Amino acid sequence: MLNWFIVNVVCPCMGTVAFAVLFNVPKRFYVSCATIGTLGWLVYCAAVNQTSPAIASFFASLTVVLISRVLTVRMKCPITMFVIPGIFSLIPGASVYYMAYDLVISETREAGQSGFLALKIAFGIVLGIVSAVSIPREVFGGDYWRERKKK
Amino acid sequence: MRFQQITENKTEYMDLLLLTDPQSDMVYRYLDTGDMFALYEGKELCTLAVVTASGNRECEIRNLVTTYGNGGKGYTRAMIHYLSENYRKECDTMYVGTWDYEESMRAYKKGGFEYSHTLEDYYVHNYKEPIYLDGKQMKDLVYLKKDLDAEVDLKRVVNFALDAGRILLKNGAEIFRVDETIQRICKRYHVEEVDTFVLSHAIFINAERDGEELYSKIKHVPLSSANLEIVAEVNDLSRKITSGMINLEEAIEDLDRIEHMPAKKKYQLVLSAGVGASAFGYLLGASATESICAFFIGCVLYIWVLFAGKHRLSKIIINIFGGILITSMAAAMYVFVPVSMKVDGMIIAGIMPLVPGAAFVNAIRDIADSDFLSGTVRMIDALLVFVYIAIGVGVALGIFSNWIGGVGICLTGL
Repeated sequence: MLNWFIVNVVCPCMGTVAFAVLFNVPKRFYVSCATIGTLGWLVYCAAVNQTSPAIASFFASLTVVLISRVLTVRMKCPITMFVIPGIFSLIPGASVYYMAYDLVISETREAGQSGFLALKIAFGIVLGIVSAVSIPREVFGGDYWRERKKK
Repeated sequence: MRFQQITENKTEYMDLLLLTDPQSDMVYRYLDTGDMFALYEGKELCTLAVVTASGNRECEIRNLVTTYGNGGKGYTRAMIHYLSENYRKECDTMYVGTWDYEESMRAYKKGGFEYSHTLEDYYVHNYKEPIYLDGKQMKDLVYLKKDLDAEVDLKRVVNFALDAGRILLKNGAEIFRVDETIQRICKRYHVEEVDTFVLSHAIFINAERDGEELYSKIKHVPLSSANLEIVAEVNDLSRKITSGMINLEEAIEDLDRIEHMPAKKKYQLVLSAGVGASAFGYLLGASATESICAFFIGCVLYIWVLFAGKHRLSKIIINIFGGILITSMAAAMYVFVPVSMKVDGMIIAGIMPLVPGAAFVNAIRDIADSDFLSGTVRMIDALLVFVYIAIGVGVALGIFSNWIGGVGICLTGL
């Protein structure tokens, strides 16, 4: 249990904040970045056993961008602030690395396999981001829901 | 801070207006014909102003009052600035009449007003009761004036907007944000017809005014690493400009400050690269010892990245040599640390600080906004970084496996 907690909560939390520092995100956003990164990873973990890495990445990136958009409206700052560090744990770095490495040592078949996996995951992330971004901006402001209630 | 014009029930604000103009029939003279503006902070009314415009391109601030407890917070100045922006189109000169009292005139003088003329004994003749301030009787009405047309200059506005766009683009903002910021700044400073074309590494801008003045400029912006703090600051500045809180001079100064903002301390960057490497390494399945080794690899790697960045080495060199560095250190630790470890775990953890996450996310967002050209460029930028790293790692691994040979760096994990 403790080990699970360290792997799936502490690690993404620390990693996300570390990359937030590397990208010079202002200090006041660190907590939000950590939360977003951790939640994204937890969603990925929950989904990856039931489905495939690509679909899990889709749901995880959807979560990351949706929460980021809510926070963006609340804190009045560019969404990039949260999305770039938050999505880091989902980027298929390992697969792309394996692909490129296999290419270098001319293992073309295996390069194709890991490359295709990386591509699928990347498309999952792309779809997640695109679907979350295409929701109109007003939905994320408090006013929209208050006015709907009145009607 | 938000401004609002008040068109109904102006008499409700009578109590406030009487603070600076103590006789109600004098207030009624301009209350109906004048335009009333209010400045709110949250829900609280902070400053109220009444302006009347005469036909000959002149207008006059008849009353400007800041509510009790809100003095000295810059609201008065923001209101003066807002009014002069607002009346720039209809009027050339703005007047304000005030009593001959240094305190009252100071805010106006800071807002760009200068002395115009004096009506002697105005208050003595027109007001029933004598007015005292600081124990001194106020007799004369002093007029101050401000030339509204002085500030607009097409070239300066466009250059400033372009600069803001360049700083945003350089520090990793999306294409549409750059575009939007430039357009907003130009609109705010009355350059209405602007066409922009923003690419991942260049901005084209063309501005026109009244069909006569034409100005166009191209700016090359080399691809570079992200600094999101600067993006956030420029975004805040753009908000301030749009809400009319600051004028062009202040905005230019502020942008200059933002561009030269000190970066994070070097040791912080190095340490966080280490933490990032080890945390994500552990997440991706490296063992505890491997992650601890990855921490040191990440730190050393980032020292190299900072060194290379300082000497402006090319991206190819940085990443290929970065890959070699990671692999060498991982192999060295594999040999010298007496715990069983896999090399690939350390390598994958070690390359995390080099992973072009910002370029990748921005590429996706640009493609999602249909900025295909910029999106593709950024995506290729991101992919090539991976290839460079892999070349470095591959070369180094090849050398090491030949060198140590049968002693057996166990490369089966790869």
